[in-house]
Amino acid sequence: MKIERRELIAAGGLAAFAVGFSQTLGRMLSGLVGDAPKAHNIHGRSAEPEFSVDPATGALRPNPNQQVSYTACLGCTTQCGVRVRVDRASGNVIRVAGNPYSPLSTEPHLPMKASVRDSLVALSRFQDKGLAGRSTACGRGNAAMDQMNSPFRVLTPLKRVGPRNGGQWQPISFEQLVRELVEGGDLFGEGHVEGFAALRDLATPIDPDAPELGPKVNQVALLSSVNDGREPFARRFWNQAYGTLNFVGHGSYCGGAYRSGSGALFGDLKKMPHAKPDLANAEFVLFIGTAPGNAGNPFKRTGTLLAKGRSEGRLEYVVIDPVLTNADNRAAGERGRWVPIRPGTDGALVMGMMRWMFENGRVNTAYLGYPNLNAAEAAGEPSFTNASWLVVAEKGHPREGRFLRGSDIGIAVAEEEKHKDADPYLVQGPDGKPMPADVATGPAPLEAAAPVMVGDRKLAVNTAFELLRESALKLGLAEYAGICGVPEAVITGLADEFTRHGRKACAIAHGGMMAGNGFYNAYAVVTLNALIGNLNWKGGFVVNGGGFKDAGAGPRYELETFPGAVKPKGTPLGRNVPYEKSAEFARRKAAGKAYPARDAWFPNAPGLGTEWFPAMLRGYPYGVKALILWSSNPLYGIAGLRPLVEKALADPKKLPLIVSVDPLINESNAFADYIVPDSLMYESWGWSAPWNGVPTKATTARWPVVEPKAAKTSHAPDAPAIGMETLFIALAQAMKLPGFGPAGLADIEGNRLPLERPEDWYLRGGANVAFGGKAPVGDATDEDLALSGVERLRPLLEATLKPDEWRKVAFLYTRGGRYQPAKEAQDETNPEWQTNRFKNALWLWNDNVGGTKNSLTGKRFTGCATWQPPAFADGTPMRDVHKESDWPLLVVSYKSALQNSYSIATRITSLHPDNPVIVHPEDAARLGLATGDLARIQTPGGEATCRVIVHEGVMRGVLAVEHGYGHRELGARAHTLGDARQPERPDLRAGVNLNDLGLADPTRGNQAIWVDAVSGTSVRNGLPAKLMRI
Amino acid sequence: MNPDIVETVNVAREVAWLPWAVQYFFLIGLSYGAYLVSLPGLVFRRPGWEGISRLALLAALVCGLTAPVALLADLHQPGRFWHFYAYFTPSSWMSWGAFFIPVYLTGLILYAWLAFRPALARHADEGGRLAGLARRLAYGGHESRNALVAAALLAFVGAALVALYTGVEVMLVRARPLWHTPLLPLQFFVTALAGGFGLTLLFNRYLSGRGDPLATRRMANALAVTQLVALLVGGVWLALGLSGLSPTHAQALAEVAPSANWQLSAVWAVAATVVTLVLAWKRPGSGLAIGLLALHSAWMMRWTIFIGGQEVPKTGAGYYSYQLPFGPEGLMGIVGTAGLWIFLFVVLTTLLPLDRIGKSGATGA
Amino acid sequence: MKDHNPPTAAPATSPSRRAFLRGIPVLTAAAAMAPAPVLAADATHHWAMLVDVRKCIGCQACTVACIQENAVPEGSFRTFVSTYSVKLADAEQPAGTYMLPRLCNHCDQPPCVPVCPVGATFKRADGIVVVDGDRCVGCAYCVQACPYDARFINHDTDKAEKCTFCAHRVDAGLLPACVETCVGGARIFGDLNDPAGELRRRLDAAKAEVKVLKPESGTEPRVFYIGLDERFQGRVEGQGTLWQPRATHG
Ligand SMILES: Nc1nc2c(c(=O)[nH]1)N[C@H]1C(S)=C(S)[C@@H](COP(=O)(O)OP(=O)(O)OC[C@H]3O[C@@H](n4cnc5c(=O)[nH]c(N)nc54)[C@H](O)[C@@H]3O)O[C@H]1N2
Ligand SMILES: Nc1nc2c(c(=O)[nH]1)N[C@H]1C(S)=C(S)[C@@H](COP(=O)(O)OP(=O)(O)OC[C@H]3O[C@@H](n4cnc5c(=O)[nH]c(N)nc54)[C@H](O)[C@@H]3O)O[C@H]1N2
Ligand code: SF4
Ligand code: SF4
Ligand code: SF4
Ligand code: SF4
Ligand code: SF4
Ligand SMILES: [Mo]
Repeated sequence: MKIERRELIAAGGLAAFAVGFSQTLGRMLSGLVGDAPKAHNIHGRSAEPEFSVDPATGALRPNPNQQVSYTACLGCTTQCGVRVRVDRASGNVIRVAGNPYSPLSTEPHLPMKASVRDSLVALSRFQDKGLAGRSTACGRGNAAMDQMNSPFRVLTPLKRVGPRNGGQWQPISFEQLVRELVEGGDLFGEGHVEGFAALRDLATPIDPDAPELGPKVNQVALLSSVNDGREPFARRFWNQAYGTLNFVGHGSYCGGAYRSGSGALFGDLKKMPHAKPDLANAEFVLFIGTAPGNAGNPFKRTGTLLAKGRSEGRLEYVVIDPVLTNADNRAAGERGRWVPIRPGTDGALVMGMMRWMFENGRVNTAYLGYPNLNAAEAAGEPSFTNASWLVVAEKGHPREGRFLRGSDIGIAVAEEEKHKDADPYLVQGPDGKPMPADVATGPAPLEAAAPVMVGDRKLAVNTAFELLRESALKLGLAEYAGICGVPEAVITGLADEFTRHGRKACAIAHGGMMAGNGFYNAYAVVTLNALIGNLNWKGGFVVNGGGFKDAGAGPRYELETFPGAVKPKGTPLGRNVPYEKSAEFARRKAAGKAYPARDAWFPNAPGLGTEWFPAMLRGYPYGVKALILWSSNPLYGIAGLRPLVEKALADPKKLPLIVSVDPLINESNAFADYIVPDSLMYESWGWSAPWNGVPTKATTARWPVVEPKAAKTSHAPDAPAIGMETLFIALAQAMKLPGFGPAGLADIEGNRLPLERPEDWYLRGGANVAFGGKAPVGDATDEDLALSGVERLRPLLEATLKPDEWRKVAFLYTRGGRYQPAKEAQDETNPEWQTNRFKNALWLWNDNVGGTKNSLTGKRFTGCATWQPPAFADGTPMRDVHKESDWPLLVVSYKSALQNSYSIATRITSLHPDNPVIVHPEDAARLGLATGDLARIQTPGGEATCRVIVHEGVMRGVLAVEHGYGHRELGARAHTLGDARQPERPDLRAGVNLNDLGLADPTRGNQAIWVDAVSGTSVRNGLPAKLMRI
Repeated sequence: MNPDIVETVNVAREVAWLPWAVQYFFLIGLSYGAYLVSLPGLVFRRPGWEGISRLALLAALVCGLTAPVALLADLHQPGRFWHFYAYFTPSSWMSWGAFFIPVYLTGLILYAWLAFRPALARHADEGGRLAGLARRLAYGGHESRNALVAAALLAFVGAALVALYTGVEVMLVRARPLWHTPLLPLQFFVTALAGGFGLTLLFNRYLSGRGDPLATRRMANALAVTQLVALLVGGVWLALGLSGLSPTHAQALAEVAPSANWQLSAVWAVAATVVTLVLAWKRPGSGLAIGLLALHSAWMMRWTIFIGGQEVPKTGAGYYSYQLPFGPEGLMGIVGTAGLWIFLFVVLTTLLPLDRIGKSGATGA
Repeated sequence: MKDHNPPTAAPATSPSRRAFLRGIPVLTAAAAMAPAPVLAADATHHWAMLVDVRKCIGCQACTVACIQENAVPEGSFRTFVSTYSVKLADAEQPAGTYMLPRLCNHCDQPPCVPVCPVGATFKRADGIVVVDGDRCVGCAYCVQACPYDARFINHDTDKAEKCTFCAHRVDAGLLPACVETCVGGARIFGDLNDPAGELRRRLDAAKAEVKVLKPESGTEPRVFYIGLDERFQGRVEGQGTLWQPRATHG
């Protein structure tokens, strides 16, 4: 008995030993077997170098096991030119670094004429070249590439099983996909669904009583993200071949408010031009609601130039932001500053600065006086403004707020040209009488001395300058300071410093403008530049060089249009057109009450993805029959959208068909009926251009440097992979649409050519790029081809292009694009001027804004920069509805310095796993919170549990949420595809997404999300909130 | 707390010396501690110590045989243990340690064999379990006093070297101020000795009739002394740290003091020591409790030093927080070592039942 | 012809206003004694790195590039950039960001080397401190001995691992991955023995501002810093990050 117990104990001991030491035993055994994969004794598992360079001679020896190619990164919207290193055996990307030819990755970038060999040597230790010509890829870029092998990728077409957003899918063949999409049918056992063929009705109006809405085809809508170099192709299909009007990108929930504010200053509210500081030469820059080096576009270029400027002692900058970010760097000390500000109050700060500038003679009135470019240039100014133009100020005048035009004072203008481009703007002439602005040869008065006589009637006028000044003087400095929480001395200090650097100062904004008054805040920020006259100056406010056009009408191929192309017509879903031109207006007016409209209209905005969902799900202006989500994620990216529409979106009766083209399952396309795999990162073709911030012309070549992983369109041996292009081509062919197929496109001589594969389009676009500009590019050598991996494309190039073209297009691929030399940034004859200039007027007063009315109130908008508190659509201040006593805090979001919204890559999350909400120590003390505590964050729109981090890097009263976390998809939820279940990765769910807390607009019946009343852009900064300990 | 510096991005380093290491340092300490307890009775023939010393020797043997296995497991490449011998590196105390351990174990095993031969022989004669094995091991069962002293001497040299190297190896790590204090080897030694006494006490307690009360009392007294010394050394450590007289100690204290985890385990270790002292002093008869407490405080001390020390970032702010994993690198590792210990204990006490060796004078040595 | 100045001459600024822009003290106050790197006697090269903290934007390009280049397992890092929010006293700016790229210092007196029981870790003649993976027993003694937390056990290989200065690239005439891709241009790599090289020139130019981490430890790092604040030179006193290792390995 006793013995037995001993044995038992001994056996137990032995068993425990065996378990405890199993790993040790395993390691001993594996030690005997050897380390697999074999690691070098010193270098471990480090990758083999892609080539070697003799440090003495600079001789290059490529590594035959690897391919080094130049293309674009898609880790964020910057789309940098990068160097991708591929392991030839596995086809896996090893690492990405920068493309030395690309200004988005290199400063200064290498001239195109450098051979590929030279470009590779330029990255090496040889003569320290790699340090001087450092070419980079950021952490996100290097991490996001892991998605190429992600277990969450969509590789075959998926068809929903069960309800929408149920996470269950059936893989289907491409053939079935195309058939079902085109023909429709009872696809889900939920009743008949109309296919694309039936939906392409170009004739029948959506509503016979409202013909301005356009034909039924407009009820098919496509939401995309950003032009990744492929948008012209997609637009050719949807706009020109299929014929729908509704195709928008993510602009309205990106930095749309800023772009609109900028568009107002640059006089174009649809294209919304904007400019950036010339960071390479600037002396003083104010970043108001954009965090250089933390985020921003171009992310790396901005970061590099900022770092350079501040450490070399040339640049000083101030970041005005409720949140402290990586835009600050204490080691650089006084060269960079952070000024905390209350969210959504930038207008007050800037109008305060302006007030001080007006009152202290710091406005460059000499510059502002030039009413046209000729007069300005003659005086040595590379740009001009409309400061001296006359605006109708007569109360109650039908043109109140509009510019006084030639036709208004009796200058002869054709009737159809009245108040259009040909109708001249007026300034006060030397004789005190109005004269056309464009004929003045010198400065015009900035103050309108007297009313203008129209016939025998006096008409009160103001100059744009006067209106702006009046707006700035509306409040006192102390009031402005009180509103924005920035001390008066700091406001005047900023104004002072800003006006001390001649033209080498600049003020810009971006994401920080996405508040409930974003448009006016942004307009105010950009107007600062006009007041010092820095546009087009070296070191000042400079415009993008732009790209070389691929999808144009030549010079080699006609890619712009084709016989049978449709010109889409109608009212866009986002109602970004004047309400006053709608049938509804006529009806209501006839009924005696023109205002309010049923809901808000946004005549001064571009296409508005923000408005789409409420619009299509409520049927105002009309319902949608099919929605295509192409690489976009509105449910994750738009504040307040998910809580508002998630139910309706799941209901096929409200929106019968949702098709997504995307390599991943994100929060939005989880609601789709079909997901069609798209190419990811380095698998795609495309011609992309920098978004902004590159003064020289630049186009980045995207090409499949690795084989696309998605399934092929068919079993044919040379069948291409499924993707956006192959899907749209197949749809076009199935519906026999023009512009695609065997004679889909044409060369410049008019010879018809096929558009049946992606290459048919992109290689020919390449020929347009190669032959565009002042002179065609050179030819790629055989060595260029071999060293850059473009060798792989050679058969395709030769087969698709003409003999004199293919080596030029290859030249672009070998160098990863076409880039104007860095030294051409400034004008050869005028070295202080930029080469690429914005040549139209800057509008201190924008009469498109000033002349339109709020469709909910019928009240006119202000036409210049002004301070207005954040408000809902009908102008009701947010704080009138959501009182400070109930919601004492304001939440903002700021971009993760490391993440992007979709780069939920574990190489980043393993470093920075989640996004604790930043709370100011004073607020934390009041709430009894300490770093690491869990808390409940609540807004009128929703609530979430979060962790907090407490430090001084946030404005008092503000909660800051880093954007890029709080995912529900992209790996955060395991979907079932057929029988296969994706892996569970709960860590990818970490953190919170501020957008889940976004607000609905109570002045729009809580039926739409809160957007800025002018620009229609998503409001994600300054949401009223409270925080509670849990 | 509202610190002026808040780390927003940083990473943690994992604990690299795992609970295995704690087990090794604990067991090897127990072994040489118990070995020392074996000397008065077996080598110096102090009256009243024979039983105690034989029990202690058994304890030294069980622990001494288990310890290197834990050490092996703490290597991430255990199959390469032979590299220690192939690539001797005189600059490394660990390298020397690889040679000291066999010296000690050889001495200890010989010493134990010589000490237990008569007992093995009797076990064989009386037809106990595994009598055949016992007979073969007894190899005649003679007592050979000179050989025994010689073996004990070898073991002593080994034990001294092991005590030295285990202390110095850790003490030399400048990068960890908590470890880098000259008192550390002494602390290791004192607590090891206390552990040795504690384990012997435990063995003693398991003799039929709960062991010899006199022996219990004797060991309790000795234990009280070791605990007192341990506390004194600890006090000196604290005083040096608090007063700032010794910068190393001050730094060590400053680094770990704010850590809640460390505070808990340190207070725990000290409390265990104090309770052991008080009990040993006031109620020397409570052999089981004191023995267990002594073992516990020796283990806690090592846990606090090793795991607590590794929770202090060398460059970053705050602390890494270690959570004992369940698997071999954590709890299962600890349990596994204990299992091995138990197994060896059962096997050895089958051949050498505690009663046979533990009863005073039961077997002449 | 052209007027580069504002037309209205700016009046002298009041001191208080200038103070807004100039008054905040730089964290790196008086520079401590600059370590004077000695030229290695015999070896042709002595590799070293200079980190200009002023240029760092905390983008972690270095961190991730290093991971990809060197197949560093998830959750381990050969280099990373510690980022801090620092409260500023006596300044109008309430707080600032401080970033600090960290990696193995390739110490000239590397404490990790003598402790290695099998001589697996050593300093190459060119100054690079490496681990011979064929010899390492994974005892982690070097991990303990490194004063910079620069080493770890690689759970894929079960050997000690650390930054190698990308010796495999350097030997091939290339730059380390982290240097090649440093967006801010903060990392400068080169040869201490090459007086004409970029590294040496920058070190010489910045002399008094050049510092190293934990200078008192006697390790003589060969990773130098410009803009290194004293508060970050050793172990940082402050609130630790909320980072937790995601998974325990086993
Ligand atoms: N709270 C808050 N909200 C924000 C922001 C914020 O800072 N805070 N930022 C806003 C901004 S600036 C923007 S631009 C928007 C972005 O919002 P969106 O443009 O709508 O979405 P993204 O998340 O950028 O990307 C869309 C999808 O593209 C797919 N995708 C990823 N990689 C690839 C690829 O390589 N190829 C293809 N074909 N598809 C790919 C993924 O499914 C991804 O979800 O979000 C906005 N929302
Ligand atoms: N690291 C990184 N870089 C990126 C991206 C990314 O996701 N991550 N995304 C890219 C994209 S799509 C874009 S659009 C750009 C955007 O680049 P940015 O515009 O620079 O980035 P955001 O974070 O959107 O906004 C900038 C700052 O505005 C601040 N802010 C919030 N509310 C207010 C306010 O009311 N007033 C003021 N003054 N500031 C406020 C935020 O705290 C934030 O720091 O970045 C691009 N680059
Ligand atoms: S900035 Fe964006 S596009 Fe450029 S490398 Fe980084 S992730 Fe890629
Ligand atoms: S882990 Fe390897 S390199 Fe480090 S000390 Fe041990 S054997 Fe040497
Ligand atoms: S930093 Fe650490 S690992 Fe690197 S050489 Fe110095 S002591 Fe060794
Ligand atoms: S030098 Fe190489 S190994 Fe070292 S940190 Fe940089 S990338 Fe990593
Ligand atoms: S890559 Fe350069 S700038 Fe970016 S975090 Fe690393 S050291 Fe700093
Ligand atoms: Mo964006």
